[in-house]
Amino acid sequence: MASQAARPGIPDLFTQPPPIRDPLVTETTDLQDATLERCLPFLKGIHNSQSGPFNACGVPALQRDDHVAFAYDSLEDYPASFVILDASRPWMAYWGLTSLFLMGEDPTRFRERLFNTLRPAQNPTGGFGGGHGQISHLAGSYAAVLSLAIVGGEDAFELIDRQAMWQWLGRLKQADGGFRVCEGGEKDVRGGYCVMAIISLLDLPLELPADSEARKAGLENLTDGLAQYMSRCQTYEGGISGSPGVEAHGAYAYCALACLALLGSPEEIIPRHMDVPMLVSWLSARQYGPEGGFSGRTNKLVDGCYSHWVGGCWPILQSALDGKPQSNGPPATTVGHLFSREGLSRYILGCCQSNNGGLRDKPGKHPDSYHTCYVLAGLSAMQHYHYRTDSSPTSSKMFSSAFSWRSSPIREGNVYEKSDRLEPIHPLFGVPYPSADAMRLWCEARPITP
Amino acid sequence: MVGKYADDPVWASVTPIPLDDGEGADALPMASIAYPTEYLEATSYLRAVMAANEMSDRALDLTKDVISMNAAHYTVWIYRARILFALDKNIEEEVAWLNQVALKYLKNYQIWHHRQVLMSSRQHFPSLPPKELDFLMEMFAQDSKNYHVWTYRHWLVRHFKLWDHPREIEDVNVLLKADVRNNSAWSHRYTLRFGPRADNEHDAGMVNAGDMSTTPAEKGVLAVVDEDMIDAELEFAQNAIVRAPENRSPWWYARGVLVASGRSLGEWEEFAGKFVVSEDIVKSSHAVEWLADVYASDERKGKAVEMLGLLEKYDPIRKNYWDYRVKMLDVSV
Repeated sequence: MASQAARPGIPDLFTQPPPIRDPLVTETTDLQDATLERCLPFLKGIHNSQSGPFNACGVPALQRDDHVAFAYDSLEDYPASFVILDASRPWMAYWGLTSLFLMGEDPTRFRERLFNTLRPAQNPTGGFGGGHGQISHLAGSYAAVLSLAIVGGEDAFELIDRQAMWQWLGRLKQADGGFRVCEGGEKDVRGGYCVMAIISLLDLPLELPADSEARKAGLENLTDGLAQYMSRCQTYEGGISGSPGVEAHGAYAYCALACLALLGSPEEIIPRHMDVPMLVSWLSARQYGPEGGFSGRTNKLVDGCYSHWVGGCWPILQSALDGKPQSNGPPATTVGHLFSREGLSRYILGCCQSNNGGLRDKPGKHPDSYHTCYVLAGLSAMQHYHYRTDSSPTSSKMFSSAFSWRSSPIREGNVYEKSDRLEPIHPLFGVPYPSADAMRLWCEARPITP
Repeated sequence: MVGKYADDPVWASVTPIPLDDGEGADALPMASIAYPTEYLEATSYLRAVMAANEMSDRALDLTKDVISMNAAHYTVWIYRARILFALDKNIEEEVAWLNQVALKYLKNYQIWHHRQVLMSSRQHFPSLPPKELDFLMEMFAQDSKNYHVWTYRHWLVRHFKLWDHPREIEDVNVLLKADVRNNSAWSHRYTLRFGPRADNEHDAGMVNAGDMSTTPAEKGVLAVVDEDMIDAELEFAQNAIVRAPENRSPWWYARGVLVASGRSLGEWEEFAGKFVVSEDIVKSSHAVEWLADVYASDERKGKAVEMLGLLEKYDPIRKNYWDYRVKMLDVSV
């Protein structure tokens, strides 16, 4: 099948093996070749499971109805074999709600159900766990706060015990600037990103609670040493690892860059802590041809979820390179897109759509709630230009940059149809733009006293 | 209620706390799971003993039972670790049990954090346990790029100061011999050779990182350089490149080596040139990128642009990036 001709409208770049291939065979090339073999019929638009219709660029339409049905279903009951999701209930809510929003559905219809789901997961000592009786975790708390932002409204915001949340964050802060993901848990860059998203959305005090252990190490604020911690996660490859000294990885790179872009203005804070030319080079190397998708690490395979993690690094880095915003609109000059939007769009629509609804890692894999959310988020990011402006709804100087982002649809150079358009989400928070503003402003009007 | 725990006299004194799934009269919870009865019962007892902060043998057994049904339950792992130390349990036995669990759930990360918590007890492990590295190699035989295992191994190196332990570089060599494209192994090699070691320095991917007295461009530059080691590492990278020139890992490792030593990429101009014979005969896109960087660094801008143009042919998916690089050179083309 791989040797069969492609549909018209598809450049050779997306149907032919890469120009240079080493003869030496190892496990890495075996897996890479097998993946390529699996992807090619989908990229060529000739796999019998693809439903189409195909456009003039040879790209299949987004099977929106099927994916919407999958996303709704992902928020309903699971059989007993899914017991391993028991520690990820807030994530399930977030992934499903975000997928629905991206596809133009109204996630607010889940408000009451979300409240009922999250209430037992919140601990009186602050934060949300994966479910009732589970200790609070930064990932679960991040997903819970974001989900509440998405459904919005006073009762959603009131559900969160912000005072206790702040106390709990103080207990997670570490002497080296980083955060543990839960008390007794591991320390990694996810923690720092989740904390900054939570603090900025909920307008929590920046200073450490009086009982915070980190005060003994001389730290005064939750943000102290955090940017330096991220800096220590940059590797000789230019990318960013999950914790200092480990291999560079796309998902962690997003967490680190989004965390920095919450801590300050990207054009100042990123060059202060990262070797930017190396970082851009590594990030650029995450995109593979002919697949068009992104890999998470050097010599690993493409995976649809990196459409968001790696794809989500690009607006942040591009904005850093564009410099300080000068107006309330898009910058007058921009470095533009430093990767192939066409390639990623082709990979997502060609290879990541499961024929019964839902999106997936790659052909041959089953769709799931996580991939559906992040593949769609990646597609959305290909369709919208995200930029910062010189105006921000927040009265906080610290977070003015984080809330100054805007987006506009990209109308040129698209290989997908108008009907395949998704809604934009905020590049740092992963929620609708108005949701982030509304949560922040509601909380700003009700300050927490340390 | 009947069940394994309800019927057991050992548990008679405990009143289980049933699951509050958020099921209200008004609305159903989202993404609810039809939990197996055994799991519901075990976790209801878990909530009760955790609420009482009970440190007991029965609670320890209970954690094992919950893990057997859901190894992704992070709470139970953390509670288990606390009980093990509170009751001064045999940690070596725990590690032996953990080995089996790790091999069963290859993608699970809670297991690796738990292992780190156990291993960080100086009282139980004053030095590296003899079988530890063998077990990690057993894990790598299943998945040689397992991120959790490599993260743990990195921690182990720093904790027990294993940078120069002969097994570390030996294992890296074994893994690179099996697959010269194993970037995780290359990354570990960098830590062994160039990672920060001092007790008063935070751990980092490169030296100088996070130090506000230096700029990001100085990351990875060593204060003291062992030129023999640098030469040996460069030779190692060259040998790997000769085996498979289009392998990104050794090219970037070599950049890291040169940066560490304060030497320039220009040193490899001739070597990289061997893979760029002509416009139509290119054996490695990484060699072309290397040459582009060398030319850009010493003002041979025209040649740099030429190389970046070649990259549009040999690594075409990254066209926008190569165009950006040309623009950064600030030459009219």
